[in-house]
Amino acid sequence: MNNKIPARSAAGFVILVILVFVMLIVDLMIGSVNIPAEKIFQLFSGKCSDETIRSIILKIRLPRTLAALILGGALSVSGFLLQSYFANPIAGPFVLGISSGAKLTVALVMIFFISRGVLLNSGALVAAAFVGSLASMWFILMISGRVKKMSVLVICGVMTGYICSAITDLVIAFADDSDIVNLHNWSMGSFSGTDWEDIKVMVPVVFITLMLAFMLSKPMGAYRLGEEYAMNMGVNIRRFRISLILLSSILSACVTAFAGPVSFVGVAVPHLVKGMFGTAKPIVMIPGAFLGGALFCLVCDLIARIMFAPVELSISTVTAVFGAPVVIWIMLSRDSKKYGGRS
Amino acid sequence: MNSKITAKELSVGYGRRVILSGIELKIQAGEIVSLIGPNGSGKSTLLRSIAAQLKTIAGCIYIDDSSISGMKENDIAKKLSIVMTNRIDPELMTCEEVVEAGRYPYTGRLGILSENDHMIVRESMESVRISELKNVSFGSISDGQRQRVMLAKAICQEPEILILDEPTTFLDIRHKLELLSLLKILAREKNITVIMSLHEIGLAEKISDRVICIKDKGIHRQGRPDEIFSRDYINELYDIDDELLELAGHQGLV
Repeated sequence: MNNKIPARSAAGFVILVILVFVMLIVDLMIGSVNIPAEKIFQLFSGKCSDETIRSIILKIRLPRTLAALILGGALSVSGFLLQSYFANPIAGPFVLGISSGAKLTVALVMIFFISRGVLLNSGALVAAAFVGSLASMWFILMISGRVKKMSVLVICGVMTGYICSAITDLVIAFADDSDIVNLHNWSMGSFSGTDWEDIKVMVPVVFITLMLAFMLSKPMGAYRLGEEYAMNMGVNIRRFRISLILLSSILSACVTAFAGPVSFVGVAVPHLVKGMFGTAKPIVMIPGAFLGGALFCLVCDLIARIMFAPVELSISTVTAVFGAPVVIWIMLSRDSKKYGGRS
Repeated sequence: MNSKITAKELSVGYGRRVILSGIELKIQAGEIVSLIGPNGSGKSTLLRSIAAQLKTIAGCIYIDDSSISGMKENDIAKKLSIVMTNRIDPELMTCEEVVEAGRYPYTGRLGILSENDHMIVRESMESVRISELKNVSFGSISDGQRQRVMLAKAICQEPEILILDEPTTFLDIRHKLELLSLLKILAREKNITVIMSLHEIGLAEKISDRVICIKDKGIHRQGRPDEIFSRDYINELYDIDDELLELAGHQGLV
């Protein structure tokens, strides 16, 4: 009996890794030009002479697909960290308005510098997004200090999100540079236009943050029993909470800086992964949520690209279609547990 | 002999609001101490302060000879474990996983339990007779069972001091007796100091080596059970006056 859960988690990991790999290849294959799988394998083993295929894959599809993989994973882990912090499964960077805060600062910084003819590198955008997510996070924490009810917190988060989006739209509408057309795409959420420079920034940022988050899995495990017991198990609560907030803000800021706001991944994916693994142990969930988020965004990005090709959907539209029902499901099942289940 | 827990001129409370002041404690290793007193008198506040969950307002609490405010969280965790009244609702955790959390202070960076840790977890679960709940979800068991799971968690933390806030609240009479005899065994055999708040003064009288009465923002009286449990004093402690006694007597309650 005792080995049941580790076995189930191990099986979950194997399945997720295989699916992520398969989707990675599928994402590279499908597009305006379909490229068969063997050509892709040939390309990576250095035996492809076709220059067009080479440049489609290496210059356009591979960076975009990697972005979906890395950022999708980052977003999902960011959501899991927030859920641990608030001890509530419906917390997430998008739901709490943290993504929208990041979006606003990125838009402001971009427009400010573009209008002065300065092109910003991706690192600076991540920094701007980080400031924005911390600002919204601070706002949410202020509210959570006053009201303990999660539903109120979520409503405040959603409203903050709307306010930030409205200001972003306004700023974009009044900015007149032609470069800002791109801004519009970005502010709707998209993985398109990712280049290798972006990947070079996001890989270290995301993976270092993930490692740090993974090192927090022990206090996170203790924190599942509530603050009092966690404290009694030797957790420095203050330091722990600040670390959680910072790490989750960095992850969601990184996603927003490169892909704009991406909805519901942070709430839906950790929940699905918990169900799949049959446990919510942080040490399993952090890598699990990363793989799950990566898979989810690889699938959603493919749908966004091909569903109405050549018109591309925003990534948020697709993730919302799959993610929002999961959120509703979580809320309904929690409610029925509260009122029906216990005797 | 040095005492296990010492408090000198201690004031406890929340923020600046003082709940209890002028507290002097000297509790020996292996002693069973009960806190009694009316609702809201500050028993839990004192327990939470001793457990280093609340900052003291004035004065100091010492475990052995070191002040708890100067100790590292993890070192306190190895000496002192708690069972509190608040309900916890962890997601997807089995009872065994909850108990395992008690070993965290002893594990490495990632909190992975060794074979020895697992053995201690098993023993703790056996000692409170919840081995059969091992793989049962913590969310699906009764309040009494939860209480015992939390006690197993506290025991497997291998504390020198065990702090319990109203540990008998959700238990039926049989489990109450079981719990108290277990505490007695822990105190006598492992020399664990037990400090708890109790509402049932009858139980407090039977189990305690010492009773501390909390009233009027401080320790009202402390001593051996036979020094405390006179009818007059209990009536005074709980503000039971003649009028109430007479009324209750009329209804056949006393």
